[in-house]
Amino acid sequence: MRLPIRIDEQRPEPLYHQIEVQLRGLILGGELQEGTALPSIRELAVSLKCSAITIRRVYQDLEHEGLIRTRQGAGTFVARVETAELDRHRVTRVMEELEKAVEAGLALHCTIEEIEDAFRQIMRTKSSEQRGDSEDDRE
Amino acid sequence: MTGNKDQRAIRLEGVRTQGAGHPLGPLDAEIPSGLVTAVVGPNGSGKSTLFRTLLGLEPIREGAAFVLESPVLPDSSETYKARIGFLAENPHPGDDRLTTREKASFASLWYPDWNEIRYRELLSRFGIDDTVTLSKLSKGMRRKAELAVAMAHEPELLLLDEPSSGLDPFAWKIMLEELQRYMEPGDRTLLLSSHVTEEVKRMADCILFMNGGRILGLFEKDRLFDEWRSLLIRGPAGGEKDLELLAKLPGWRQASYAGSGLCRVETDAMGKEDGYLQSCGFHVLESRRMELEDILNCLIVKEDNNSESA
Repeated sequence: MRLPIRIDEQRPEPLYHQIEVQLRGLILGGELQEGTALPSIRELAVSLKCSAITIRRVYQDLEHEGLIRTRQGAGTFVARVETAELDRHRVTRVMEELEKAVEAGLALHCTIEEIEDAFRQIMRTKSSEQRGDSEDDRE
Repeated sequence: MTGNKDQRAIRLEGVRTQGAGHPLGPLDAEIPSGLVTAVVGPNGSGKSTLFRTLLGLEPIREGAAFVLESPVLPDSSETYKARIGFLAENPHPGDDRLTTREKASFASLWYPDWNEIRYRELLSRFGIDDTVTLSKLSKGMRRKAELAVAMAHEPELLLLDEPSSGLDPFAWKIMLEELQRYMEPGDRTLLLSSHVTEEVKRMADCILFMNGGRILGLFEKDRLFDEWRSLLIRGPAGGEKDLELLAKLPGWRQASYAGSGLCRVETDAMGKEDGYLQSCGFHVLESRRMELEDILNCLIVKEDNNSESA
């Protein structure tokens, strides 16, 4: 199976981190369901053009977090994930995305105040859109 | 799983050899087992001599080499060789009049673990008729035939000296798939030399850089690409004068003036240079990973500088 993991060579984060975050995301986001067989270490390493050492490290970390489990001779599988864990993951993910947006703002020499204003403006637009939607639903 | 961390498939301790005109060494290195290590270096850097040394084909003048825990000795009748598969850089002229089938028959006598089924599988994967005389095969076909023979006893250690030379892109892809399959059990070791960057990026776990008969370093591939960066920087002086400050950058490898008030600097300490850059008033416009060739080039320049100052 080919996992939808993409490595961004331009990001400063090390490869193992990029892979780990995305694989964790696939599991916690529900794309990879409990019991799904993951590729072997070598298979994933070759398909992502990274080393088996990196994949071994990612699998070990995720196994430690209880997200995957390795059965001797049978391979590596997605483990059962609790709902609370999934909720925590949603918040973590949104914070990561916001952080990227803030980084982009700072790179453009925006002040914190300007970024906060922009954020509030977007939130106002979005929440009125959502209110609009729900009013439409009622009609 | 991927090999025992403490195990070394190959250990070199101050090895010096005097091959056919190419002196090698002193070499010190430990090649991890269970992983793929790519040997990378310019022509004449000693890659082939290194392979020959590991097989006891080049007399070791100084130091000691251990392959699969066995010392490499001149009389070379050791049993460890039956656990190795080897593909030489150039075909052996003595094999010219043999068919692939005949060469395989010899190999099957020599290797107790010869796997006839695997041999047949490899032949069919590579599309080889093993009744044809080796000298009548094209360069690429012969390469594939010899690779099939070298891999058919499923050795613990596979030594491939530029396996992809002469292969067309389709054969190359099949070879990579077969090497991946070879590595799948996790306890086998592959050492291959290559000039093909794509091959190294896809296959290698570790990279051994060589130049001028010396080892420049053995690196974990991903850490190498994570840590080595090329930065485009605007400095406080906005000109060549910034290079003086940049020379003190942690991990500095080389730097040059890029024009328009910008400098380019290569560093091998990704993340550790931020503090210094900020305190000097540098602004990083771009940070990108480096290509294998550029990293090799930096290592060669450093080696040259070292030997000049020595």
